[in-house]
Parts: sequence; structure tokens; C-alpha cells
Amino acid sequence: MKLLKLFVFSSICLSGLFLSTSTAWAHGERSLEPFVRMRTVQWYDVNWSASTVAVNDELTITGKVHVAEDWPNSLPKPEAAYLGVIAPGPVFLRKERWINGEAHLNSLPLKVGRDYEFKMKLKARIPGRYHIHPSFNIIDTGNVAGPGQWVEITGNANAFTNNVETVKGEMINLETYGTANGVRWHMLWMILGIAWLVWWVRRPLFIPRYAMVNKGEEDKLVTPKDKNLAKAILVAVPVIVLSGYFVTNSQYPETIPLQASLDLIPPLPEQADLVNAKIKRATYNIPQRSMMMMVEIKNDSQKTLQIGEFTTGSVRFINSNMKIDASHTPPEYLATNGMQIEPNDLIHPGEAKVVKIMASDAVWEIEHLSSVIGDADSRFGGLLFLFDDQGNRYLSSISASLIPEYK
Amino acid sequence: MSTISVSTGFDKETATVSRIYDYLILVLAGFLYIGSYHLHFMLTVGDWDFWLDWKDRQYWPLVTPVLMIAWPAAVQSVLWTHFRLPMGATLSVVGLMLGMWITRVTAYQIWTNYPLNFVLPATMIPSALVLDAILMLSPSFLVTAIAGGASFALLFYPTNWPIFAMFHVPIEWQGGLQTIADQFGFEYLRAGMPEYLRIIERGTLRTYGQMAAPLSAFFAALLCILVYAAGWYIGKAFATVRYLKRV
Repeated sequence: MKLLKLFVFSSICLSGLFLSTSTAWAHGERSLEPFVRMRTVQWYDVNWSASTVAVNDELTITGKVHVAEDWPNSLPKPEAAYLGVIAPGPVFLRKERWINGEAHLNSLPLKVGRDYEFKMKLKARIPGRYHIHPSFNIIDTGNVAGPGQWVEITGNANAFTNNVETVKGEMINLETYGTANGVRWHMLWMILGIAWLVWWVRRPLFIPRYAMVNKGEEDKLVTPKDKNLAKAILVAVPVIVLSGYFVTNSQYPETIPLQASLDLIPPLPEQADLVNAKIKRATYNIPQRSMMMMVEIKNDSQKTLQIGEFTTGSVRFINSNMKIDASHTPPEYLATNGMQIEPNDLIHPGEAKVVKIMASDAVWEIEHLSSVIGDADSRFGGLLFLFDDQGNRYLSSISASLIPEYK
Repeated sequence: MSTISVSTGFDKETATVSRIYDYLILVLAGFLYIGSYHLHFMLTVGDWDFWLDWKDRQYWPLVTPVLMIAWPAAVQSVLWTHFRLPMGATLSVVGLMLGMWITRVTAYQIWTNYPLNFVLPATMIPSALVLDAILMLSPSFLVTAIAGGASFALLFYPTNWPIFAMFHVPIEWQGGLQTIADQFGFEYLRAGMPEYLRIIERGTLRTYGQMAAPLSAFFAALLCILVYAAGWYIGKAFATVRYLKRV
């Protein structure tokens, strides 16, 4: 009775524990080491075409990545990378994917120090509210997530269709194609397998058979009928298998092996090196959640420039004195008042100037970027954006060792 | 009362108790095989069986039978040596298939929304039936290892081709050539499964051009003979009654 009570009590406790858990919505996007997120692919201009779509409708994700010059020494160079989508399963389908205007069906090598522009067309499949990230899965580096946006899919999942056309012009629905055929073959073999088991299980099994084997009477345990059935199996099974094989070959005479090529897509044309930014010293103050950079900037362009933004690990620190459109960036990645620049002046053509940039916000902690000071490779990297008076943007990739300040 | 019970001299009551014991052991063994073989299968064959776009003509017919035969061999060793029951391989594989279907439907289709056709498992029941039949008819460990082990591997690809051939029909997508299976991999999002991670069509076996599948199958046959022998002896080593004072 005591045992029963204990069992009932434990069951109630366990049930309560399971019922009290909530759904996990994150994808581990903040768990990748900060030096990887800050110094491999650096995301910018990421945009989602909508925040609500209906089942069967399209969502387009566009954006750019800069492949950091200061690629971490502990990671191999990006010889194969794959633009992906991080989502809770196939709630969207990826229907098209383009890099620099070229089709991107397979993995591609990335060139360090260069930029790539991407576009993905997704088709809504399962209703719900999901956090959708673009990501670059890089061989031996991991899945580097870009910023994520909440997107709601409305409508009815049963209304979803996914038709594609084969080379021979046959239209097929990928949601159901081949399912019935596969289930039929599995059922056939399962029935035959279970029949063979029943053939033996219908007779006494373990204790009497064990006793007879020990008495040396094992020959009595396999009857001539059993042997005839086994002979029939040895003939029938290969006949069914080979018949199925040849009939299938005649049904599908034109098949090809799985494709395993690598896309070769050149990066965007290289921009003229008009702005050179070099970090003289950088510190991160842990209690204040604040990064300080002393940056020497040389303006080799013909325009007067002003620092507008520092972005790293998808987080954007924006100079509040400038009008920079950040409407397409989810608010959790924005530190609109977190950037202070001293002196916050214009940098004239040909001028070289050392400026102090403060990037302060709780987002360092929230996005787990501050833990870069605990990495074996305690360097950070990011992109510095400068703008001329006509709104043209000049990009400079920066990186440096980061000194922690504990007080 | 069956001839077996008569031969052992069991009275009616003893025979009934023995039969109840049979069913208890069968149910327990069934769950054990479903669970443990399935775990072994997921940890070793894994992605090759989970996804359509991993079932290539080179590694899939090599990896799957070689990694799968050890378990049936061990169970055959126990059931044949001590009980003269030639159903060890079929029992294992049917258990595995039940476990896989439960997982594919609940975990993959219902829970994570993948269509069933994308995660259709391969079947090895014909290979298992032939393995059991050879053991019973030979009845020799060595013959079963050579003839049965080789058949186990050689039957794998033609058994599964009727299920998966239709996914190798070509399509044109964004100006590139894909199989339907590749298209599944492209469209149905798997955050941790980039294209380069698939271990397909790599290595010098490609040198033989279009003959990769039969060559893989024959290489798998050779390895299956060896792995079968290892599995048999593992089963033999674990099938001991040394800890039981009385049976």
C-alpha cells in the first residue's frame, strides 16, 4: 500500500513537472561562441518581406554578409558553406535561394574579406508564430545564425500544396509523392516477417526447447515442414526482391544519382578601399556592459564622412545623431542610443583621425556576446559603417583584441 | 499438448505455465529488441536511414547492412544455440522496423512536421528472412556467415529500390539538375543539415562510374561475413546461465 501511494505521488509530481514546462522557442542562436559570430560571417541589411503570411504564401528574406578578414585561426577557411534558414522544422519550405543573383542549390566556397548578397524565397506551410533566422552553415565552423524575426503563418495547414514538375513534365506533390508505394512495400515485408515469427511462436518456445536441446534432442525441434518453408523462403524472397527491382527499373528507366556538386559563385565586386579603420585599443567593461574602441580612421574618399553604425554579431549600434533606417531590424538587435563617438565630427577627405567609440547596451549580455572575453580567441570583429552627405555608405571591417575591465 | 511438451514430459499444468512464460519473455524481448536495436541503428546508420537525400548508391548500401547485421547475428546465436529457434534475425529486424515506424510517424511526421515520404525507412526484412532460413537449413554458423552474411548485404539495395527509385527521377530547379530526393533536402528545412554534411558519392569508388551500387553491395557482402561472425560470438558470450543456480 505504501508502495502504491509512493507510486501515485511520484506520478502526480512528474505529471505536474511535465505540464508546467513551456515550449522552447529558441534555436541556440546565442550559444555559438561570440568570436565565431563576430569574426566569420557578418550579417547586415537583413530584411524580411512580411511579418504575417498565409499558408502557401511567400516570405522573402534578403540581406548581405561580409566574410571577415580576421577569420579565426582556430577555424578552417570557409571552403564549403550553405545558406540556411533556422526555424522550428519545415514550417516554411525553401523554394528558391540566390546568392549574388545566381542560383544557390548546393554548398559554395566563401572568399574571406568579400561580400555576398542573398535572397531566399520561403513558402508558408504550418500555421503558427515562429522565429526565423537566415544562417550560414560553414564546414567545420558551425551554423552561424543571422538575426531572427518573428513571423506568423495564418490559415489552414491542410490547404498547403507543394507541386514540382519533373524533367519529363510530370507534376508531383512532394507532400505525398511515393508515400503510399513505400508503405505498401513495407507492409508486404512486415506481413511476411511477422508470419515467419508466428510460425515459430505458435509452438512452445523457451523452457521445453531449452530442455530438449540440453538432452541432445534438438533434431526434433525442426520438422520437415519447417525445412520446406525455409526452402520456399530461400526461393520466394529473392524472386520477389528481384522482380520488384526489375519492374521498378522498367517503371522508372530514367533516374539519376543524388547530386553532390559545389556551387561556384563569385563574391560581389570588391569596393574601392576608401575608408581605413584600425583599432588602436579596445576594452570591454563588464559591469557597465560597454565596449570602448580607439579607432584611427583614414578617409581616402572624395567625400566628407561621418560614422553612422557599428554592427557585430547581428547587433546594431547606431549613431543617434544620424538618420539611419533601422525599421527592418528586429528591436532586440538594436542599440539605438548605445553609441557614443568622441569627437562626433565629420571626417574630411584625406583626413586621418583617432576617435573614441563607445558601444554600450545590455544587448552585449542578452546576446551572449560579452563572453568573448572568456574565449580562447578573445578578439572581436565587426563592421563600421560611415556615410557621406548623400547617404552613400562606406564599409570598413574592423577587429582587435579585447581587454576586459572588471570594475 | 504439443509434441515438444510431450517430448519433454511436461504435464498439462507445467506446459501451461511454460507457455505463459513464453509470452512474458516474448513481450519483454520484443520491447528490448525494439528499443536496443533501434538505438544501435540510430547511433550508427543514423542519417543514412533518416533522410531521402542520404540514400545514395555508394555509402548507403555499404553502411546500412554492415552496421545492421551484428545484432541479428547475436540474437540468432542465442536463439539457435539454446532453443533451436531460427527466427533471431527476423525477430530483430521486425522489432527494429516497428520501432522505426513508431519514430518516423510520431517524432518526424507528427512532432516535427516532416512529410512521411521524406523520412521513409529502408527495410531489411527480406535479408533477415533469408538469413534465418540459411541458418536453419545449413545448420552451420560458418555457412550462415558466408552465404547468409553475403545475402544479407546483396539483397539490401534491390529490396529497397522499389521504394526509393521514384525519388531519383530528375527535376530541373533554378536552372540546376536535382533528384526529387535532393529537392526534398533543399526545400524541407533542417537547420543542422547542410548539403556538404551528407556523406554521399565521396572517395575512389566513384572511379567505377555507374557501377557504384553493385560494387558497394559486394564490398558490404564481404564485410557482412566478418561482422556476422563477430556478432555471433558476441551473442554467444552474453548468452550465459552462469549466474542462475537453477533453471
